[in-house]
Amino acid sequence: MIRVGIPRALSYYRYFPFWKTLLEGLGVEVSVSSPTSKKLLEEGVRHCVDDICVPVKLYYGHVMDLKDRVDRLFVSRIVSVEKASYDTYTCPKLIGLPDMIRSSVDCLPPIVEFVVDVQNMSLRSSAKRAAAELGICGNLTRQVLRRSLAVQSIYESALLEGLSPQDAIDGVLRGNGAVARKRSRGEAPAHDLKIALVGHEYLIHDYFISHDLPAKLRGLGAEVVYMTQVSGGVIEGELEKYPGISWSYEKELLGAASHFMGRPDIDGVMMVMGFACGPDSIISEIIIREVRSVRDIPYMTLVLDEHTGEAGVATRVEAFVDMIRRSRRRT
Amino acid sequence: MKVSFPHMGNAYIPLSALLSGLGAEVIIPPRPTRKTIDLGALHAPEFVCLPFKVNLGDNLHALQMGADTLAMVSGMWACRFGYYGRVQHKILRDAGFHFDSILLGRDGVGSVYRKFADSVEGNLAAGWLRAFGKFQKKARAVDALESRARAVRPFEKNRGETSRTLESGLSLVHRAKTSTEIRAARQEGVGLLERIETERDFEPIHIAVLGEIYAVLEPALNFDIERRLGEMGVVIHPVLSVYKWLFRPLKVDPRITIQEHRARRVSRPYVAYVLGGEEHQTISGTIDAARKGYDGVIHLYPFTCMPENICRTILPRIENEYGIPVLNLCLDEHASPTGVETRLEAFCDLLRQKRRKRRGRSQVGMALKAGAKEGE
Repeated sequence: MIRVGIPRALSYYRYFPFWKTLLEGLGVEVSVSSPTSKKLLEEGVRHCVDDICVPVKLYYGHVMDLKDRVDRLFVSRIVSVEKASYDTYTCPKLIGLPDMIRSSVDCLPPIVEFVVDVQNMSLRSSAKRAAAELGICGNLTRQVLRRSLAVQSIYESALLEGLSPQDAIDGVLRGNGAVARKRSRGEAPAHDLKIALVGHEYLIHDYFISHDLPAKLRGLGAEVVYMTQVSGGVIEGELEKYPGISWSYEKELLGAASHFMGRPDIDGVMMVMGFACGPDSIISEIIIREVRSVRDIPYMTLVLDEHTGEAGVATRVEAFVDMIRRSRRRT
Repeated sequence: MKVSFPHMGNAYIPLSALLSGLGAEVIIPPRPTRKTIDLGALHAPEFVCLPFKVNLGDNLHALQMGADTLAMVSGMWACRFGYYGRVQHKILRDAGFHFDSILLGRDGVGSVYRKFADSVEGNLAAGWLRAFGKFQKKARAVDALESRARAVRPFEKNRGETSRTLESGLSLVHRAKTSTEIRAARQEGVGLLERIETERDFEPIHIAVLGEIYAVLEPALNFDIERRLGEMGVVIHPVLSVYKWLFRPLKVDPRITIQEHRARRVSRPYVAYVLGGEEHQTISGTIDAARKGYDGVIHLYPFTCMPENICRTILPRIENEYGIPVLNLCLDEHASPTGVETRLEAFCDLLRQKRRKRRGRSQVGMALKAGAKEGE
């Protein structure tokens, strides 16, 4: 059986259940890279361009971890995820990811590209193309595709319920089809605050690079609300106030930020950005200048890169939570 | 209307002809310097691309000079440039400035067209046609002067004379008002450059310059690389120009459209999709430089530029496959002129050395052949 490797970075957090079910349905074995570690990140940084954003450096690290123990490397090319009358994009780095990997990493196994370009092709065509690259077109039955899409849909419902991507992935792929319950996290102190996290999931939920940000917040007595808990319909509604953006993922950030800032039960909003993230540098400015000016809610940006230290993150998060509590006591 | 727009190389010359032809008073901020960058960086988001920061500095100067309207191109593209106008103008308004915005792209063509109804002399359509004609002639004139200067500068006998003469020629074109004056200014400018004293007793190295468009065209960003390299005796071949940038979206010059398609085709094996920047020109430009036998390539881009970062990961492979050296210069507000100068000098030295070695080998080869023939 061919072994196909999927790096645990970038679009893994969005599409992994779909891809795993699809590939296994096609009759291949799926391998995932190890969870991020210092060594993995260093390998990635070493093989990557200096000034690119840290999620891409992480991706390189995961590719290096995987490439020698699989027969094929599965690399996604996410071009567009939204059908609209105007051009929609994800980020140039997501669009050009296979080109980068192909040209800059030596001794790679053959790459299988999975193209997501909903403006121009259906997921079915994308699946067909990937199956063709694997040489197993015949195995792509309607049943396999339907099952993969069903698993993906369950995964997305689990995210809406508030599970983290890894918890949702574990629950969904354990395979009984029911939505996993949000597990209570043991001896955490009672929550008296609600903090919303806005930012790319491949940053927030890679707990090595984010220094386990959600757990830190919970440890300080704050309940964490993720962007993935906001439905697409709500985000669309918020975006009517802020038209004119073509980056689909940035629109999600903008819509979610606007939604959270308008909710009376949210005590603070934290924007998590990767240093050198191009679209974030523009969207965070739009959020601060166009969205936040509407309501005076405690707001903080946390910029992460491969040099960010745990102590720095801990200090800033503690200070943010402290100041919210202090200002509450005063009013 | 007192309108202004940010600098990019000599684009201000045709652009101000267009706007003043439409009856607006054009406020041109001083050419950007490192101080402009520092000023812009003060108000801009930290890791936004450097061109944004320079633009912001230019806009601040223009507002202080009395501009009441700021113009910018905008769009919803994958590259950040399309959002510059929106975010820059918001930053300026938050800082307390009051002005009108012309965001070509976000504002429909019709609304921009009609904005000049009050300021233009006579009929609006005729006014636009006249203004566009001058715009095109000046853009061509600037292009002709820049090309001539690039061809002459490596051979100039008196260092700096080409740049000074170029400035005079550009100034003549900028001041010209009618089509006749523009033609005369262009002829005089080119003539002055052709009459510069030259010494052509050496074989210069040839370097292609490519990358992100603002980094290639704006001297404040690239430390006036065109002049520096020219004065080092290097013939440079920029892959982009102000003329191409202005006329590419207008699609009135078929040569530009054809070249764009070709660049996409040549770069497709390396970059399969459109990334929103000049990635196709960067990749195909490097391949072309190798095919044309140039000595090297200089890749310029602002820190964090997304499409060019992707090219940066791909260029080493092209360096290997096509055998052409590439110098990467990543530019931000902390880059130092000395650092850049040192790297340029080192790169040129290495290229000259390589050329001498190649020539030496071929001379040895020819001597061996000659010796062998004699021996027969």
